[in-house]
Amino acid sequence: MKRRTLFLIFVALACACTGTLTAADLRAIPGDSVYRFDATLSDQSGTEFHLGERRGRPLLVAMFYTSCRYVCPLIIDSVKGVEHALNETEPAHLRFLLISLDPARDDTAALKSVFDKRKLDAAHWTLARTSESNVRTLAALLGVRYRALADGEFNHTSALVLLDREGRRIASSEALGATPDPKFMAAVRNALEISTK
Amino acid sequence: MNAIFPVFTLLLCGMFTLAGCSRGTSAEPPTPGNASAVAGAAADTGGSRKGDFGPPQGEPIKAVLTSPPNVPPPTGRSAPAKVIVELEVIEKELPIAEGTTYTFWTFGGTVPGSFIRVRQGDTVEFHLNNHPDSKMPHNIDLHGVTGPGGGAASSFTAPGHSSQFTFKALNQGLFVYHCATAPVGMHVANGMYGLILVEPPQGLPPVDKEFYVMQGDFYTVGKFREKGFQAFDMQKAIDENATYVLFNGSETALTGDNALKASVGQNVRLYVGNGGPNLVSSFHVIGEIFDKVWYEGGTRYQENVQTTLVPAGGAIIADFHLEVPGSYVLVDHSIFRAFNKGALGILKIDGPENLSIYSGKEVDSVYLGDKAASLASVSTAATSNAAGTLSLEEQVAAGKSLYSGTCSVCHQDNGAGLPGVFPPLAKSDYLATQPKEQIVRVVLNGLSGAVKVNGQDYNSVMPPMSQLRDDEIANILSFVQTSWGNSGERVRKEDVTAVRAATPRAEGAAH
Amino acid sequence: MRLAALLMTVLLPSAAAGDFVRLPGQAAFTSILKYTDSDGKVPIAPFELMTTPVTNAQFLAFVVTHPEWRRGTAPSVFAEARYLSHWGGPLSLGAAAEAAQPVTHVSWFAARAYCEANNARLPTWSEWEYAAAADATRADARKDPAWRDRILGWYAKPANVPLARVGQGSPDLHGVHDLHGLVWEWVDDYAAMLVSADNRNQADPDVLTFCGAGALATDDRENYAVLMRIAMLSALEAHNTTGSLGFRCARGASGDVQ
Ligand code: HEC
Ligand SMILES: [Cu+2]
Repeated sequence: MKRRTLFLIFVALACACTGTLTAADLRAIPGDSVYRFDATLSDQSGTEFHLGERRGRPLLVAMFYTSCRYVCPLIIDSVKGVEHALNETEPAHLRFLLISLDPARDDTAALKSVFDKRKLDAAHWTLARTSESNVRTLAALLGVRYRALADGEFNHTSALVLLDREGRRIASSEALGATPDPKFMAAVRNALEISTK
Repeated sequence: MNAIFPVFTLLLCGMFTLAGCSRGTSAEPPTPGNASAVAGAAADTGGSRKGDFGPPQGEPIKAVLTSPPNVPPPTGRSAPAKVIVELEVIEKELPIAEGTTYTFWTFGGTVPGSFIRVRQGDTVEFHLNNHPDSKMPHNIDLHGVTGPGGGAASSFTAPGHSSQFTFKALNQGLFVYHCATAPVGMHVANGMYGLILVEPPQGLPPVDKEFYVMQGDFYTVGKFREKGFQAFDMQKAIDENATYVLFNGSETALTGDNALKASVGQNVRLYVGNGGPNLVSSFHVIGEIFDKVWYEGGTRYQENVQTTLVPAGGAIIADFHLEVPGSYVLVDHSIFRAFNKGALGILKIDGPENLSIYSGKEVDSVYLGDKAASLASVSTAATSNAAGTLSLEEQVAAGKSLYSGTCSVCHQDNGAGLPGVFPPLAKSDYLATQPKEQIVRVVLNGLSGAVKVNGQDYNSVMPPMSQLRDDEIANILSFVQTSWGNSGERVRKEDVTAVRAATPRAEGAAH
Repeated sequence: MRLAALLMTVLLPSAAAGDFVRLPGQAAFTSILKYTDSDGKVPIAPFELMTTPVTNAQFLAFVVTHPEWRRGTAPSVFAEARYLSHWGGPLSLGAAAEAAQPVTHVSWFAARAYCEANNARLPTWSEWEYAAAADATRADARKDPAWRDRILGWYAKPANVPLARVGQGSPDLHGVHDLHGLVWEWVDDYAAMLVSADNRNQADPDVLTFCGAGALATDDRENYAVLMRIAMLSALEAHNTTGSLGFRCARGASGDVQ
């Protein structure tokens, strides 16, 4: 299995490749930022991107898997709930990233199918997959706990995590459903104001 | 511990069966029939239903926490406040008896933990900090909290971390708090408990002195008073076979210089808790009668009480007025615990004698002996022993002090014994005729069965005294053999060591 | 030059990567975690485990060659402020940390990075639990009270005394040291243990029937000593460190990461 934990020194050496953050870039990222983890993910259309490219705008992240019947549809509903609670101009500045816990089964086609079925807006939404090792690291960074069950399902906690424009965890919500937790919404609005200034 | 992570519980339960999983969260209103039945005798306080006096007022207050036996001052407030409590968990080695140490896990560095005092209706913001040097995670369950686990699930804290939760103190009373981390019994047995007082809105009647006393049972691999570091013994704890039963976590916590002190004419209040983990206390103060006991730490009091039960995980408040000076002994009146397991404390009352009430004989000499004098001669002997210059005189002086704390209870100060019950040591033909090894063996292993001393038959039991060190036994026997008209042989430390080595370990001692 | 000298002193006391031994594994190991989905039985494939926890010296060698994991350089998102705080400096052990003591104050991210750099990985909880079930003569000694007492004996020891060196005393049947009695150890799937923080919930049947689709349960109450380890791990986040928490690495039976 390939592991891609971030090593400044290696990045510095291997920096010729495009799309990878330079060592200087990385140093500019705050130490408490999730973007210190330079994972490569691929989205619902199979396009690869680096997590750190999400820097610059607040980001709402959650983890899910497509074959999940009970909780995961609710996670998408919850994120949509946040989107709807914002007024017309605000959502433009917030992005949504849902990362699969189940890279073995969630291939690009599976992500694409959910993306279309739920009528998600590609301007703001990304459904993504990455390596199993990256999933474990991302879950650790986001504070998500999960376990694969014998039947292929997962037990998992389902936090919506709000990252500020630098990728720092500033709020999270375990409340699921179409009506978001008011405290969490306040944090979202707060983050948007800061980032639009 | 086989339930699931709370977040996860919420997640699934939220979807299917919220009711099934949230047991204990909703306070069921009592049926009308119930309420009136209770109200029959006296007006009731309304319990938690009437304990919410609205949002906290004024600036948040930092709670004053005190170490035992001290109690924080009354809150003196007439409105609900926000009270911030900062409690730190510290694991540390402390003396459990003279010369014996134990690894205690503490709330605030003491056993019992810091005393917390708030007023009914207060909103308590609780911060539990687990010291970075701790090995274990810990949490806290406060019996004064209304909510699942009493805060335990919200306060699970790894070493070097803090957790915070907030509760409203809806019920007045004196409540135990304790750690509820697995294995719970072990965390409690290591001293993780304390008291939180939720004052009634009008406060408690004023008194002159308040003290904080908490009983606990302890389980060590070594025997009672066996010297050195002692480890926790899980099997003894499961068997409820306590090695120590103590007030405030140490045999000497409330004796000698640490005795509680008050004066004639004062009103004294004891806040007494019992951390357990296993034993229920029959709490009694020898020579006093409690004027009032708020039994079970609740709202009502009983008057004129001799002995009151303090359940494990429960507490009481006892008030009494002091008339006669002297030393009063706090005991668990399951009395072997007091004399053989350490459940003793002293309340020293100074002031003028009141001969019309009591003729004035001291009560504590029997229980304590002359500690101060004993320590001096005992330590002189120990020093000389180490230096190899120990003289018979030093041995006898040390032995005399040790004898009065250890053997005199049965064989009497003058060595005469009690006819038919405890044989004499003074002019004992047993002592004169038995070989030295046998006499050492009597002290080390005890003696039971028929034995004839100076023509009289005894058939009783002397307990083994193997907790004494070899040099201590040598000193005692040297004293006995050269006193009261005895002319036996001096006993040296090496003699005892040899006998001990030749003796199989007494049964009951864990390995 | 100075770095070379430093490396020499660091590397000499013990092999840089640590010694591994092969454990045979077991088709259906009974885990203390009675996950209802798998009936509490876990297949353990043969694997290799480090015979001792990673030492201060070994970890120092790692941060010398991996500057991004030095104290003060590692970002706080991967390692909280206490990371390696007991060392004298970012590249020196100092008086409080002996070379042969297990390294502590390491985060899960750092532990993982160390193992990766040594062509290994962290063991899974099941692997760790399986290895720790052994004593000197048996692969599974968990029913023996003496086995449990050893763990409890360690709990009873205060944490403020210096840690022993790794590898003291005799190894277990597999040749592994110190699984009990020295430090807590990170496992790769520490975050998979969805455990209640209030362990007294264990008898609540409602939680188990209504919410327990894949919840973990245990019928082995005696084994709270091991459950304590799980509770400890479940109390931590991946960037956390404590003075009693170290790690060791594992790898596939063939010697590669898997
Ligand atoms: C709890 C009461 C108790 C204590 C304390 C006690 N003894 Fe005894 N002792 C007895 C009894 C009872 C016997 C007789 C036993 C029998 O009937 O077999 C006895 C017998 C003896 C005897 C042999 C008979 C004799 O009178 O010569 C000696 C010697 C002796 N004790 C010494 C000591 C010494 C020294 C100590 C203190 C280290 C001590 N005892 C503490 C109760 C006690
Ligand atoms: Cu505890």
